[in-house]
Amino acid sequence: MKTRVKEFFTVALFFVSSIMLAQQDISGTVVEQDTGGGLPGVTIVISGTNKGTTTDFDGNFTISANKGDLLIVSYIGFDTQQITIGDETSISIQLAEGQNKLNEIVVTGYGTQIKKEVTGAVAVIGAESIEKLNPVRIEQALQGQVAGVNITSASGAPGAASNIRIRGVATNGDNRPLILVDGNVIEDLAVINPRDIESVNVLKDASAGIYGVRASNGVILITTKGGRRNMPLKIELNTYTGVQNAAKQIGVLNATEYGFIINESQVAAGNNAPFTSLNALGKGTNWQKQVFQQAIISDTNLTATGGTEKSNYSFGLGYLDQDGIVGGEKSNYNRIAARGNYTLDLLNNLQLKSTAIYTRSNQDRLPENGIGSVLFNALNMNPTLPIVDSNGAYTLAEGLGAEVINPVAQLENNYNTSQINKISATLGLEYTFLNDFSIQSRFQYNHANVKSDIFKPVVNYGSGKVFNIDRNELIENSDNFQDYTWDTFLTYEKSISNHNIKVLLGQSIFKTYGTFESYTGFDLPSNVYGESSLADATEIVDNQEQNKERGANTFDVRLLSHFSRVQYNYKGKYLLSAVVRRDGSTRFGPNNRFGIFPSGSVGWLVSDEDFFTNNNVINFLKFRASYGIIGNDRIGDYRYVSTLAGEATYVSNEERVFGKAEGALSNPEIKWEEQVTSNIGLDANLFNDAVNLSIDYFVRKTKDLLLSAQVSGILGASAPGSSAPTVNAGDIENKGLEFLIGYQGNITRDLKMNVSYNFATLQNKVLFVASENGFEQGGGFGIGLEPPSRMAAGEPIGFFYGFETDGVFQNQAEVNAGPTTDIAPSVGDLRYIDQDDDGDVDLDDRVNIGDPIPDITMGLNLGFNYKNIDFSSSAFASIGNEIVRNYERNQPFVNRRSAVLDRWIGPNSSNENPRVSAGANPNGLFSDYYVEDGSYVRIQNIQIGYTFPDEVLNSMNIKKLRIYGSVNNVHTFTKYSGYDPSASSGDPIGGGIDQGFYPVPRTFMVGLNLTF
Amino acid sequence: MKKINTVLGAFTIMLLVVACSDDFIDVPSKNENSEEFFNSQEDYEEALIGAYDLLQSTYLNVMLGEIASDNTLAGGESATDVPGIQQVDDMIHGTTNEQLRAIWGWMFAGVNRANYILEYQDKTDFSGKDNIIGQAKFLRAYYYFELVKWFGDVPLAVDKRIKFGEQFTVERTPKAQVYAQIEADLIAAAAALPATQSVVGQATKGAAQSLLGKVYIYQDKFNEAAPVLASAISGPYALVIDYASIFEHAGENGTESVFEVQYTDVEGAGFECLQCSEGNVAVGFNGIRQYDGPTFDSGFSFNVPTQEVVDSFEAGDIRKDVAILDIDAWNTENGSSSGEGYEHTGYFNRKYIARKGDLNTGDQNLTNPNNYRAIRLADVLLLAAEANNRKTPANDAQALVYLNQVRQRAGLSALTVTGPDLRQAIAQERRVELVGEGHRFFDLVRTGAASREIDGFVAGKHEVFPIPQVEIELAGSRWAQNPGY
Repeated sequence: MKTRVKEFFTVALFFVSSIMLAQQDISGTVVEQDTGGGLPGVTIVISGTNKGTTTDFDGNFTISANKGDLLIVSYIGFDTQQITIGDETSISIQLAEGQNKLNEIVVTGYGTQIKKEVTGAVAVIGAESIEKLNPVRIEQALQGQVAGVNITSASGAPGAASNIRIRGVATNGDNRPLILVDGNVIEDLAVINPRDIESVNVLKDASAGIYGVRASNGVILITTKGGRRNMPLKIELNTYTGVQNAAKQIGVLNATEYGFIINESQVAAGNNAPFTSLNALGKGTNWQKQVFQQAIISDTNLTATGGTEKSNYSFGLGYLDQDGIVGGEKSNYNRIAARGNYTLDLLNNLQLKSTAIYTRSNQDRLPENGIGSVLFNALNMNPTLPIVDSNGAYTLAEGLGAEVINPVAQLENNYNTSQINKISATLGLEYTFLNDFSIQSRFQYNHANVKSDIFKPVVNYGSGKVFNIDRNELIENSDNFQDYTWDTFLTYEKSISNHNIKVLLGQSIFKTYGTFESYTGFDLPSNVYGESSLADATEIVDNQEQNKERGANTFDVRLLSHFSRVQYNYKGKYLLSAVVRRDGSTRFGPNNRFGIFPSGSVGWLVSDEDFFTNNNVINFLKFRASYGIIGNDRIGDYRYVSTLAGEATYVSNEERVFGKAEGALSNPEIKWEEQVTSNIGLDANLFNDAVNLSIDYFVRKTKDLLLSAQVSGILGASAPGSSAPTVNAGDIENKGLEFLIGYQGNITRDLKMNVSYNFATLQNKVLFVASENGFEQGGGFGIGLEPPSRMAAGEPIGFFYGFETDGVFQNQAEVNAGPTTDIAPSVGDLRYIDQDDDGDVDLDDRVNIGDPIPDITMGLNLGFNYKNIDFSSSAFASIGNEIVRNYERNQPFVNRRSAVLDRWIGPNSSNENPRVSAGANPNGLFSDYYVEDGSYVRIQNIQIGYTFPDEVLNSMNIKKLRIYGSVNNVHTFTKYSGYDPSASSGDPIGGGIDQGFYPVPRTFMVGLNLTF
Repeated sequence: MKKINTVLGAFTIMLLVVACSDDFIDVPSKNENSEEFFNSQEDYEEALIGAYDLLQSTYLNVMLGEIASDNTLAGGESATDVPGIQQVDDMIHGTTNEQLRAIWGWMFAGVNRANYILEYQDKTDFSGKDNIIGQAKFLRAYYYFELVKWFGDVPLAVDKRIKFGEQFTVERTPKAQVYAQIEADLIAAAAALPATQSVVGQATKGAAQSLLGKVYIYQDKFNEAAPVLASAISGPYALVIDYASIFEHAGENGTESVFEVQYTDVEGAGFECLQCSEGNVAVGFNGIRQYDGPTFDSGFSFNVPTQEVVDSFEAGDIRKDVAILDIDAWNTENGSSSGEGYEHTGYFNRKYIARKGDLNTGDQNLTNPNNYRAIRLADVLLLAAEANNRKTPANDAQALVYLNQVRQRAGLSALTVTGPDLRQAIAQERRVELVGEGHRFFDLVRTGAASREIDGFVAGKHEVFPIPQVEIELAGSRWAQNPGY
């Protein structure tokens, strides 16, 4: 029976039978190189098998192995060693604390590899780097550390998410990478406390293919801290507190300057000057100063780790409290995060692994990055107005259009809070059998309840303001999101002479589902927040009523995947990996539901070749290449079938009546979007591993792009609740070069240094857009103007499409000689370039005037250790990205940027800024006048720490005590005139448009790390 | 043996997993499939509500149609406030115009929703189905009439939706053919619909007849128009004695109302989907800028009446103060205050500006509950007067009967003129009776008077608006643009 089963596996996995060799028992000891002390819990595995053991409390072990077997000795934080068994029966192994990154364990999806043997483009960030960067969110630790990863923030508000882009923008839809925490899909990294993270692995190329669907934008694998076997209880306390402020204010006019400019613009339009006495105006109100403030941040974490002979554990508890630099507690974020990680050997060959994370966060939000946001109002508010009038009431923003309101009053009346309760848990069993086989089954589950509570008191900001509220309202939403993933996979691992093979067969099912509840209560008895509840409202509207009747206030999306991977190497020198994955998604129709996606990679460890030994300069060299196809299904649900999800609401007898109508137009033909990724690269270590080097060149091509293209109006897609169909209609290419070099070493006995530098180039080009007019557009500029961003063949995705200017008309002769526009220009207006030389500037004359994708990004990290003092710093640069300045409301009486002081006032006064005029003028058209160079270099972090010497601590029973001071977001060197050049909505079409972003704060903090 | 068992155990797990077959990802939508609908009377009624929904988006046709005429100026906050509206006012609109594109898309959305019902009209039978089908035909005619008024030749779809993919093959149907379909639909609707409906706001026989008469007049088919308009007038309608009450909330769906677009203030709305509002968006746009005082609410000061239209009222015409709000006089009288927008004339379109007393659900500028009196008996009477005056042979006596009913209600004396003078008098009466209601531009166009009355109007070009360039491209760049654009 045994042989028959074995034969089955052998055949199924295309394997030759193994030859059993005589085994011998080997005993040994593992000690720490520095101290000579025995190391408990060290893993010793025979390479190519699942056979292994761990050291006991004193560092001793025994293992039965064959002569010629390769023992892999690994221990977290230490360099892994490989020892070939000779004739000896006892060995002594010294492990050194982690210097050599080559033997780091890299998580590559349904398994691990040592870095040396990795054939994909994979980057690893360890707990040490995270500690040095001290990020509030883990994404911030990726910026500048990993070449080709670019993080932009949609907002610098506490708790706000970042946009992570790995190797550019490959689709017009969702460009987020797949993020897995301990194998569990996590959509929002806010739930993870950076201090709980042991390592972050970033899969950038086709090696992500093992994760199939959703991995097309790369994969970020996060491993939380775990304990070790036979490890005494260790308690760590990490805490910091700091103060945040705005790194910059935008220059706007003070009251006197404002009066002067308004007078000039009114006179230019043929009106009377409204301000008769400029001197009386003084400086007026600095509205930015009124809304920005110093804000406190504090974070405390407690971690306990340890292990017994059969188990190991780690528990963490943390609390973060952060006020906002705009509005203080009105944009507060706080988070309790509790975490556990437990591994237990149920039997010798049966292991249980479990993790759990519970997060409870509260976030108060302000209106951001849009017309009517607090900062937009602060920039546009009339500086001659006081904050409060003579009666003590907030000044009404009269005369400034329907959208600009008093930002201080706005802060006062803003009540928008949301609470997230989230549990993420994983449970897995791994069973090892027949020496070479193991089967793992893991279940991962997430449940999040998102409650939000918005109160709008009765308020009048001025006549006709769109934000005026006549009936107070309380909106309460409660949304439940659940998902689970169930992975089961079988691994076979075998070494026969120098042939090492590992085969994986598996299945993964994923389901995400949830329900939405939303109620609005009108006319509450109290106009004070918190005094009335929803039940007190005069009228309560169930916002989901229509959906509920159809059972459509829910969603249910599923994936079903089967995958297989073969990894083979000869002598650890010639490496090969191949993956085939079949993915099925509920988002496609019956005919296109499944896609088959292959990928593969090869590697060659040149430095292991005989001809390479004794090379004094290069001690490690590996060439890698990978190629693969990955599918993407991130589109709306049920776009392949026409459903009655539209809005059909009419009125009879003053009451609404509800019917049914078609929702989004359907397209039964939609199929998987495919991304074809190729990567070639090399890794090298020079000068005895003091210098490490990686170079990668990649091409990512997205085919059959899924996009919701504009369609002809005759199809009825502009009906309420309808929208354009999703179609496979485009190709995009991203290519680039990534380079990383690092050095670490001892300068003197007491001075250690490490420095690393990386850069990545990115060239994004849309190859083809199949929409009927050849382009897609998005984003917003001004009010009622055409969207400024486009996707069109031959240009980068989301490029800005507008007029090119050629300075300012200096005199009437130039105006007469220049092209005409719809609104005739006058002297002092912008001169648009008539690209087609037909005598007038019309829509045909618009061109590419920039794009928000940086051409080059760079990171520089520098650290010193001198005796007990450590210093680290990091910088990030983004070169060649443009940004649209869209925080100016084009309205006669709003405030202006101080650049207007250098406007055109007469011949040769300015060739950059046009005249001011409240009359009709063509200067408000979307042109390169509003597009600025958003390149920047940012010093992200500087940290200085002091670790107390052991002699001092030993008496206090403390293992480690370190205090540090650090500054995050230290300074940004940029020409951009707005708050923050790193800000972007992250939209593929419509990103890089600044409507008054909430800037990322500069934070000064002090903290301590304490270990018992 | 123990090992064998564990291996078998492992196999069992694998088999269980594999048993999770492809059916796992076969999950039907909770929303019904649109092609498996129309199984009951209720289904038809629900789809009909969907077809009515787009009537609310015609606020833009009404507002922009008025602004295009010599009655009002664009106004707004500044010269660049909603450029698409400003351009139409100045007759400098080109092939890129957000508002024209909205009208194009919204009216076709209405056509498609009416056609959705008519496509499935034979699927399920029940008593009262004729009424529903009649209403669907009325709505299709209503939307198509808007389309031909604005754009001339437009793609015609009958009893089928224009489906994704068909936009590349469908041609613009000649206007005459579209009119023929509109007539056929309205004739069928008039036959099927009852004189009154139990549900307020639903189309009636009189509404279908009135619209049919109007459609005939737009094609100079006066002989066909006269009898059908006479039938409409003989329906259950009467002129409201107090003209001022028609446009107040209490006057909604009154005796003079032949067809009215229904709005409410109970639901919020936003600028990102104006067609989704259940309120009359035009009312907030027309409203008084920065108004602080009784009776009215603030708005965006678009669509402001010109001095010329104010002066066109005869002395003693009680309609003048109902249609036109002289804001300076009003402020003096009521101690109220207001601001001045772009192209401030001192007048506002009083019939359709925001009033106090509604719920002001946010955004309050977009959720005004004022119904649009789409077809009033006074309008029908004046159309009937015109039909009688211009038909062959003319019946000026009958025309005068209709005309003078309208004049006398306005406090004016009866006229006795005939022939071309009568025709002129009827045209003048239409202007002052219907000012602010969105009819003037199209009346000027159909009578050939537009180039004389509207500054910037170029005969041979501006009778219709351009098809938005992007819409031509999205349909495969096959259609010719309207002449002159």
